[in-house]
Amino acid sequence: MLWFKRLIWLGVAVAIALGAWGIFARLTTGHSEANYGSYVVWGLWVAMYLFFVGIAAGMFMFATLDLLFHVPLLRGTGRLALFLTLITLGAGLVHIWLDLGHLDRIWKVYLQGNLFSVMGQIVWGYTIFGLLTAFALLLTLDWFKTPAWLLRVVMIIGLGLAFFLSGAVGALLGVQIARPFWHIGLFPVQFPVFSIGSALALFLAVWAFFGPRSDARYARQIQVLAISVVVLQLIKTYFVWADFSQSMYGGVPMNVQAVEEVMFGQYWWAFWLLQIGVGTVIPIIILLVPQLRAHYWLAGAAGVMVLIGFAVARANIVFPALTIPEIDALANAFNDPRLQFNYFPSAMEWAVTLGILGLTTAAFLIAYDHLKFLKLKEAN
Amino acid sequence: MPVTSEQNVSAPSQTQDAPFAPQDVLLRMQADLKRALQKPAHERRWIMVIDLRKCVGCSACTIGCVVENKLPPGVVYRPVIEEEIGTYPNVTRRFLPRPCMQCDNPPCVPVCPVNATYQRADGIVEINYNQCIGCRYCVTACPYGARTFDFGATYSEGTPEAAGLILGQSAAQTMEREPNFEYGRAWPREGEASPIGNVRKCQFCIHRLEAGMLPACTTTCIGRATYFGDANDPQSLVSELIAQPNVMRLKEELGTAPKVYYLM
Ligand code: SF4
Ligand code: SF4
Repeated sequence: MLWFKRLIWLGVAVAIALGAWGIFARLTTGHSEANYGSYVVWGLWVAMYLFFVGIAAGMFMFATLDLLFHVPLLRGTGRLALFLTLITLGAGLVHIWLDLGHLDRIWKVYLQGNLFSVMGQIVWGYTIFGLLTAFALLLTLDWFKTPAWLLRVVMIIGLGLAFFLSGAVGALLGVQIARPFWHIGLFPVQFPVFSIGSALALFLAVWAFFGPRSDARYARQIQVLAISVVVLQLIKTYFVWADFSQSMYGGVPMNVQAVEEVMFGQYWWAFWLLQIGVGTVIPIIILLVPQLRAHYWLAGAAGVMVLIGFAVARANIVFPALTIPEIDALANAFNDPRLQFNYFPSAMEWAVTLGILGLTTAAFLIAYDHLKFLKLKEAN
Repeated sequence: MPVTSEQNVSAPSQTQDAPFAPQDVLLRMQADLKRALQKPAHERRWIMVIDLRKCVGCSACTIGCVVENKLPPGVVYRPVIEEEIGTYPNVTRRFLPRPCMQCDNPPCVPVCPVNATYQRADGIVEINYNQCIGCRYCVTACPYGARTFDFGATYSEGTPEAAGLILGQSAAQTMEREPNFEYGRAWPREGEASPIGNVRKCQFCIHRLEAGMLPACTTTCIGRATYFGDANDPQSLVSELIAQPNVMRLKEELGTAPKVYYLM
């Protein structure tokens, strides 16, 4: 496995180097090197924010299986899940922070915020959620003599928050009457499912690559994780089907155009090849066939594929709705590169995302190697 | 006697303040404006009426607005949307100027996480640049595409430099860094300071209104297709214009209650 770890570290080093350039460019030249504009006003970073905070919320839900519901099969996985919650939450929040026009004004959301704004609620909610997760992790370390009920209470509150927040991320888009593609009741309902799905895929990957194979429960754990990921993928695909088929059947032009943009537009390949092919069909096959998933590296790779599919799915939620002009012919009304209805992330945007991904992975690798408490108590 | 949008003059009886008659619509609206400003802000209801039959698609209003508000590249408050209608030989073109609708029920306002955008007592939706964090949530919430983000660009970027201060990039940049006076205060373009990094939009030229002047687009319109005034004043030109059957507002079904009316 040493070669595998070295390979990951090599990737991480390249990602961090690129990220350093991207973040430097972002901090010194503002948004001028980004490709989003005033029409497609949110780009890669917002999609990645949805992706990472979604994983964080789902990962907390997963942690409750051990720390609140005491599922025997998963005993000992809670701490690692809480740690993954924290670092993925960090990755999401850094993405959205760098997306702001005025980075220095973030404090205003806390001290002069509007709690009727879904975005305001989410910022407050995720901050409390992050603190709560850190507190829960601390409680699991047994460093202090704390009563067991305290952790239980913290996990119950956290579980509620995780559901509320992952739904609220859907509502962030769903409340907007301006975008029929987002403005459906199904949106906030889908997001908690997406969250659990992406979190389980990440945990499957981590467990398959780095988990304690000597543990007697290991094979069964991989099996349960694999089947759960498959079930959630099927539910996710059902949601996509329900959403798209209703839109097409209903025929509301802005809705139909957005769905067509996803399926047959400029980036059709992202939907069919990455989201459906790599992100759904192939991993489902791998995870369903016992002979295939018995190769743990293949099960781990399937987890990574599902994550790629989720990342593309997040992008396919954000961009298409914004690429449909609010008023026909608006695109030609005033010519400027920032007033276009097509978008592909710039090198700087990719670099920043890669950098954050690299740092998150590095944080995991270092912590997993050096923080003893993250290791499953396999001896138990 | 009601004044139709086809007429460029109004009946003298309706403009007691006017010094002479018949009167240009601009003078009529100027008199309406003066009357409205004497009332408390919450009793005014500024609206804009755009006669699509008179708009010739010259974009003078767009440019007038760009100049008045010193808008940088990529920021536009009032584009004129052009559409070709019909098939040959029955073809025509429609020009639709699209300012911010100053919605009575603006979807852009409640979403702002820091209350940086809000409705004034007179109904105009304002942005407090120093409060805006640049999250662009309001941009996605506007059904009319009326908000644009200020990326900090200048028109003179990448243009040739010439000797001296009269020609070339530095001269042009000096001009581009001049402050605009939106919301009644000076906003020079310096570094990353607001309004750079903020969302911007049409505000019915509040700074001009408060100085007793009509919005720049209204005075610049060569077709006299844009009207402005107080809908709460039954004597105003705009009140008469919107009491006609050929009035429509964009996307009314969304419940935004726009304060920009179009005459068809
Ligand atoms: S047109 Fe758009 S920006 Fe203007 S008030 Fe309405 S929703 Fe807000
Ligand atoms: S961009 Fe500014 S005005 Fe718009 S929602 Fe964000 S903080 Fe509010």
